[in-house]
Amino acid sequence: MPGKTPDKKEPVENGGYRGGKDLKPKGKKASKKEGDDEMTVVVPPSKASKQSSVPPPNDSEGDVAMDDADKAAEGEAKVDPVAQTINDIKSNFALLDRAVALFDARFSLRALRSISSIRKRLTPDILAQAISETYLSSSASANVARQMLEAIGQSDVSLGRQPGPEMEIDSEPKAAGKNGVKKEAKDVIPEVDVFLGILTQVVLHDSQQLQKGFEFSHYLVDRIRSVNRRTLDSLSAKVYFYYSLFAEQTAPLPPSPQSPIVGIRPTLLAALRTAVLRKDVDTQATVIVLLLRNYLLTSHISQADLLVSHTQFPENAANNQVARFLYYLGRTRAIQLRYTEAHEHLTAATRKAPSSACALGFSQTATKLLLVVELLMGDIPDRATFRQPSMETALHPYFLLVQAVRVGNLGDFETIIAEHADTFRRDGTYTLILRLRQNVIKTGIRMMSLSYSRISLRDICIRLHLGSEESAEYIVAKAIRDGVIEATLDRERGFMKSKEVGDVYATREPGEAFHDRIRACLALHDESVKAMRFPMNQHRLELKNAQEAREREREMAKEIQEGDLDEDDLGGEFEGM
Amino acid sequence: MADRELTQLLARLKAAPATAPYAETAALLSRAKLLLLQLNALTPTAAAGPTAPALLALARDTYEQGALASIRAKDPDAFTRYVAQLRPFYELLQSGGDAGAGAGAGAGAGAEAGERNKVTGLYLLLLLTQGLYGEFHSELEALSAGGGGVDVEGDRYLGYPVRLERWLMEGSYDRVWKAMKKGEVPCEEFGVFSEILTSQIRSEIASSSERAYPSLPLSSTKSLLFLESEGAVVEFARSRGWTVKDGQIFFPSAQETGEEEQEKEMSQMVIENTLGYARQLETIV
Repeated sequence: MPGKTPDKKEPVENGGYRGGKDLKPKGKKASKKEGDDEMTVVVPPSKASKQSSVPPPNDSEGDVAMDDADKAAEGEAKVDPVAQTINDIKSNFALLDRAVALFDARFSLRALRSISSIRKRLTPDILAQAISETYLSSSASANVARQMLEAIGQSDVSLGRQPGPEMEIDSEPKAAGKNGVKKEAKDVIPEVDVFLGILTQVVLHDSQQLQKGFEFSHYLVDRIRSVNRRTLDSLSAKVYFYYSLFAEQTAPLPPSPQSPIVGIRPTLLAALRTAVLRKDVDTQATVIVLLLRNYLLTSHISQADLLVSHTQFPENAANNQVARFLYYLGRTRAIQLRYTEAHEHLTAATRKAPSSACALGFSQTATKLLLVVELLMGDIPDRATFRQPSMETALHPYFLLVQAVRVGNLGDFETIIAEHADTFRRDGTYTLILRLRQNVIKTGIRMMSLSYSRISLRDICIRLHLGSEESAEYIVAKAIRDGVIEATLDRERGFMKSKEVGDVYATREPGEAFHDRIRACLALHDESVKAMRFPMNQHRLELKNAQEAREREREMAKEIQEGDLDEDDLGGEFEGM
Repeated sequence: MADRELTQLLARLKAAPATAPYAETAALLSRAKLLLLQLNALTPTAAAGPTAPALLALARDTYEQGALASIRAKDPDAFTRYVAQLRPFYELLQSGGDAGAGAGAGAGAGAEAGERNKVTGLYLLLLLTQGLYGEFHSELEALSAGGGGVDVEGDRYLGYPVRLERWLMEGSYDRVWKAMKKGEVPCEEFGVFSEILTSQIRSEIASSSERAYPSLPLSSTKSLLFLESEGAVVEFARSRGWTVKDGQIFFPSAQETGEEEQEKEMSQMVIENTLGYARQLETIV
């Protein structure tokens, strides 16, 4: 049985890893919308569905449960919320310790995942208490602790404070427990430093002390760069993330060229280089995404393009980072008029985005951009997109826009642009939408070509609100050349004569549509196969199980022969499977 | 010392008539650049010094003059180089202008916007004529988002290439043509591109006409292609391989021949696809 346990645990870790990824959009969305408390809610179902054999649904909860059990053993009944939070924080130290000892990043990820649940209860006081209890004033990293205390405005708290009376009971089992490290005796490991640092960043961000947060993040980043520890990788990704977030929100705000985000580029680039050299996938993915975002905020499109062409986004990066990367990539491509690529990336981004409410902001933004790109490609987006309850209001301006483009009414189109210019500008789609003008005209011409077998250029000019008949003539000629309509022009008599529309099923169109769909299905199949995770050594377990089952079968057969089969045996076999 | 000399040089450059030979301006420019090097202001890294804003403005002026001179000399490569050099200066000066409005940087405040838009507008036009629409839009995006309240469409210099692009895209070539006439062009440097644009739209119109009209009378082709005389039309028609008969232009119909090939291609595609599906199915099942 002991040999089996790690195997059994494996799926949990996978599930947990996913959960960790789900958690990440949090900070990013925080800039868009603060209501992301549902984040944690995401984690349990995915895991519960994945693994039902291991009881604790949420890892952090599981840790809490363990502590609770410890306490119950000590005979403590009621739990103070402050102590509870500090407890939670400290329980993560054990995880980090284990991560270092076993050299396994999964434990660090688990610690990171618990941040979101701690976040809701975290206050500067609690954090200060946790810090002061963790560090000894004489320890080597006391300096770090002081920085943190200063950052959260609790610099008067002295280090090395003995835990309060209610904490004593708790710290004892820790010191005695097999995983608990004797912090009083040993120096604090850098992972714990950084973990507390991240908590400090979170506190500062939640209380909107941006300038302070930015300075502290800068310090923390420096500190991370000074230590070279692989176990720090996933933690440092998080640190860079908050670093950039602070820089972005500190005045002067991004579009202005002297925003601090310009200043952090060298740091991020250096971090990227280091991460690539160390094969630190987490940091690499995070930093690439941050840099792209950074460039796009100041509209340095060509730099963003260069970055993409010169770096390789890690293949096994966290799902959410991939989604973001695809979104930014799609954005860059859309600006560069490479709509087909943009469409591909954005579709993937919207699909990869977490489907829960927590990342709604991301989904909305990506969908908006996707809609515009679809329009630019000459497609009309699906009506169902606008019906989703979570999207309906956010997409309303785009809905009107699509309607105008679909009908080909230039007048409506311009009124809508004028009316919603602010919304479009805020979404960063304004310049893209301006490019739609020609599509509106083309659609208008197509509608007219479909409805009339012959129409004078003057009428076209009037209906589409074009400047002059000459313009209309040129525009129609161009549309014919671009294959928008099948028609001929008669210059002398000034009309457009539509050709008979052939049977669409006689063309290659249906074949192509069919091929596209099949390809999408095949790609989906391939991706699903790739996405499956197979726990290590599971096959051995199965072999063993099979052997056992066979033995049992044999026994059963024997029993049947002997004629004393009862219900229990059957149930037993079921369990074994 | 050096900066005074540079100011004088710049004054001479600015005063020089637009028709001045390029060699002369180039000589002046390279002297100016040498002086900039002495002042350690060739690249905008020296921005830390106390005299930085003034120096930066000087350096920027130099490059701007260089850019304009190279446009007049129809040297797109040199122009692109100057624009690349100017870009960091614009960003720095813009931030200086925002932050230090009271810090005495107001000296160049008036001139700051004017030249910038002109050079950027020219750059946009250059990208347009070279058919680099991707870069064109990237640049435009940077302007509208990062420019700190630059009214792209309302600006005389910037609005011009933007409008041209829109008309080119939707196909209102007559408007492009009108916009290139004298008086519509915002300044003489923009006129340099007119020739390229004209030939560009002419070939666009020609290729559209090939598909859109079964035949065209010579006289209306003249106005359609903005050509001077019917003789020019005949010449143009010959260069594109059109047949002129009885005062009518007939376009060669290229599609008929391609039909059969298309058919073949299509069946080949269907076969390939089906084989592909079969292979995929095999791997799945």
